[in-house]
Amino acid sequence: MIGLWDTTGIEVVKALANERRSAGGLTSGLALTLVAVVDERQVREAEAAATIAASAHPCRLLIIVRADVTQQRSRLDAEIVVGGRLGPCEAVVMRMQGRLALHAESVVMPLLAPDVPVVTWWQCAPPERIAYDPLGVVADRRITDSAQAADPVGNLRIRADDYVPGDTDLSWSRITPWRTLLAGAFDATNIGVKAVEIIAPDTDPTAPLLGGWLEARLGVHPTRRSGQGKIMEAVNLELADGSTMNLIRDLNAGIATLQRTGQSDRILPLSRRPLGEELAEELRRLDPDQPYAAALAAATGRSSLDERLAPRVHIWKDPALAERPEATPLEPVAS
Amino acid sequence: MTNPLRDPQDRRLPRIPEPCALVIFGVTGDLARKKLIPAVYDLANRGLLPPSFAVLGFARRDWGDGDFEDLARKAAQSGARTAWREEVWSRLAGNIKFVPGSFEDDAAFDHLAQTLSDLHDESGIPGNAAFYLSIPPSAFPVVLKQLERTGMSDNAKSGGWRRVVVEKPFGYNLTTARQLNDLVDDAFTAQDVFRIDHYLGKETVQNILALRFANNLFEPVWNSNYVDSVQITMAEDVGIGTRAGFYDTVGTARDVVQNHLMQLLALVAMEEPTAFDATAIRTEKLKVLNAITVPTDVFTNTVRGQYLTGWVAGERVPGYLEEKDVPEESKTETYVAMRLGVQNRRWAGVPFYVRAGKRMPRRVTELAISFKKAPHLPFHQTDVEMLGHNQLVIRVQPDEGVMLKFGSKVPGTTMEVRDIAMDFQYGEAFTDASPEAYERLILDVLVGDKTLFPDSAEVEASWNVIDPLEEAWAGSTPEPYRAGEWGPRAADEMLAREGRAWRRA
Repeated sequence: MIGLWDTTGIEVVKALANERRSAGGLTSGLALTLVAVVDERQVREAEAAATIAASAHPCRLLIIVRADVTQQRSRLDAEIVVGGRLGPCEAVVMRMQGRLALHAESVVMPLLAPDVPVVTWWQCAPPERIAYDPLGVVADRRITDSAQAADPVGNLRIRADDYVPGDTDLSWSRITPWRTLLAGAFDATNIGVKAVEIIAPDTDPTAPLLGGWLEARLGVHPTRRSGQGKIMEAVNLELADGSTMNLIRDLNAGIATLQRTGQSDRILPLSRRPLGEELAEELRRLDPDQPYAAALAAATGRSSLDERLAPRVHIWKDPALAERPEATPLEPVAS
Repeated sequence: MTNPLRDPQDRRLPRIPEPCALVIFGVTGDLARKKLIPAVYDLANRGLLPPSFAVLGFARRDWGDGDFEDLARKAAQSGARTAWREEVWSRLAGNIKFVPGSFEDDAAFDHLAQTLSDLHDESGIPGNAAFYLSIPPSAFPVVLKQLERTGMSDNAKSGGWRRVVVEKPFGYNLTTARQLNDLVDDAFTAQDVFRIDHYLGKETVQNILALRFANNLFEPVWNSNYVDSVQITMAEDVGIGTRAGFYDTVGTARDVVQNHLMQLLALVAMEEPTAFDATAIRTEKLKVLNAITVPTDVFTNTVRGQYLTGWVAGERVPGYLEEKDVPEESKTETYVAMRLGVQNRRWAGVPFYVRAGKRMPRRVTELAISFKKAPHLPFHQTDVEMLGHNQLVIRVQPDEGVMLKFGSKVPGTTMEVRDIAMDFQYGEAFTDASPEAYERLILDVLVGDKTLFPDSAEVEASWNVIDPLEEAWAGSTPEPYRAGEWGPRAADEMLAREGRAWRRA
């Protein structure tokens, strides 16, 4: 491990190359570069998650922590870890302060592993528009987490408006276990569905996505009802023959019960996975996720998300302009 | 009607079998305890089993469901690959049942049949069941007869699918293999018989097909124009353990070459299948297995060996003849090396050297494709002295991965070319995600995907390779080699005569 304080991008590139050489070709089979844009308070959490994900997908991990964007003096601190506490990946943790944080790509670009896919993951409030963040523009796959937005459900609309193929949201990977159980329940029946009810808190972004998915697949608009818990509790389906099929989560035991008219209850595994496993699931696929697009479209009432063109163009947006309007004339172009 | 929630584009959702039961015969045996039960637990833990799933154990023990659950719990706890979660186990344990009885006991099988049909109402399992025969082949006829008698093997009578899983050995030679195949295919239909070769469940073995047929880089040179020779090695550091009774009657060729190594050879040498499905792959594998030629002069082109007392991994180990229960004059081989050919346009003239042995220096299974040397080297002779053949090595176990060996200039003022290795470590980076072979294969059985299971024709074709060799070897004495060596000298000489050498695996 090497720590570099108040350093430059060039030094970081050199130090990473040195570490790789001395580690003896530890991660010669890189599958991707994972750029993690992380909130200062969540660095530990992001590192833990990336470690789990990296054990399934050998990667170069670049963790970017941006702080004090409006501060005048720029500063870059970096820590380089090749195969150590962050699992079998080569990692660079970078803290950027001041104006540099708005130009993080200038440090990140030379660090991207040549010709392998780039995945950018925001472990912080998702950007309003991904095009505002050059780290999102350079990526082949972009992973946001609506649950971290101030208005998680409202953020889904932002994601839908901003969507281009290759975007996904962790709210979507969070419901894969639910979707697995529901799809499994449908393997054993061939009766159509009349009504769908989802019981989940109003602020839970996974509920509209699950509803969107069911709507896209079954053609039934789901209703929502809030329960007592802080997470999604149940999905109740009314089938065409009048029978019901309810999938109810036990909030503590990590299981769900599948109730079907005329059959005994089944207990199925349904536990909250660690963030790292959700991230690993995201990294398994680097191509656009069409079922996500369909679910997001149905959830937000937008249409044909899939037909949008993939590449984004960076749009320059300086938060300093909003906060210190008087600073604008001093650095008009260069910043 | 297909399930509206399943979308081929939705690859996040795992394949989950229909509601079904897994019936294990010989459930108290080694394989069941060490592999099958842990694999079932791991599948459950990964959420890959259907909502309605039952395990039925059958063995000659005077047990109730509770005793069996204890054994199963211990087996799962000690063998599971994934973390232990009590709630997963208790869910599974609620659907574990034990049926005691011997294979001759009609009443026991009637009880089993009854238990299976009870599942229909109790747990909503509509007659789907897979029978895992984890028993010696000698017991097959009686068990299969019983399954037929009670109608358990009949798809139509049971109202669902009925599948049977058999383990190696698939017979002792072509004749017995045919008898066994007829027997199993009669009781069930050929379509419902799954022969497990656990090598085919390994990720790297499946990766051979991806490497060859998903890339354009390797296929153009994958033929006799460019390939000098192919070496297939399966070395084990262990001895025969407690399997003397079985091992002494079969030997290495029948034990591992006939199944594992022939399958590996088929995957490396086969033509491109027209589609990535069971039938298309099997067609191509069968073609290449039928094209394998055995040497006309068996004794110059094969070597049998038997290990002597020696040292392996820092421990003194007994020789084969000193192992418990091995007859004093045993002529069974514990090592075999052979030069095979594949008679088709792609491979004519390329030797396939296949070797397998016990008590080798280390445990390794690999496939090495050795390419021809460049037809002309513009360098000075001394500059390229250290340049060998280009090699592509597929390591099956351990350290699963792919290695490419090629010449490169040694940095310095002189032109000096030397071999270097470019290494892709599959295992190191993917260990957590890569499931145990049995997990994959059991899931495939329950889903009904036969891609990774050899069928009777393949088994018979492989016996066609082994049988003439065994005939020629009959009565001959294997060459001795010291435990902890890479086999007998004669094996090295066999390659040296043709100007080649074994790769140090």
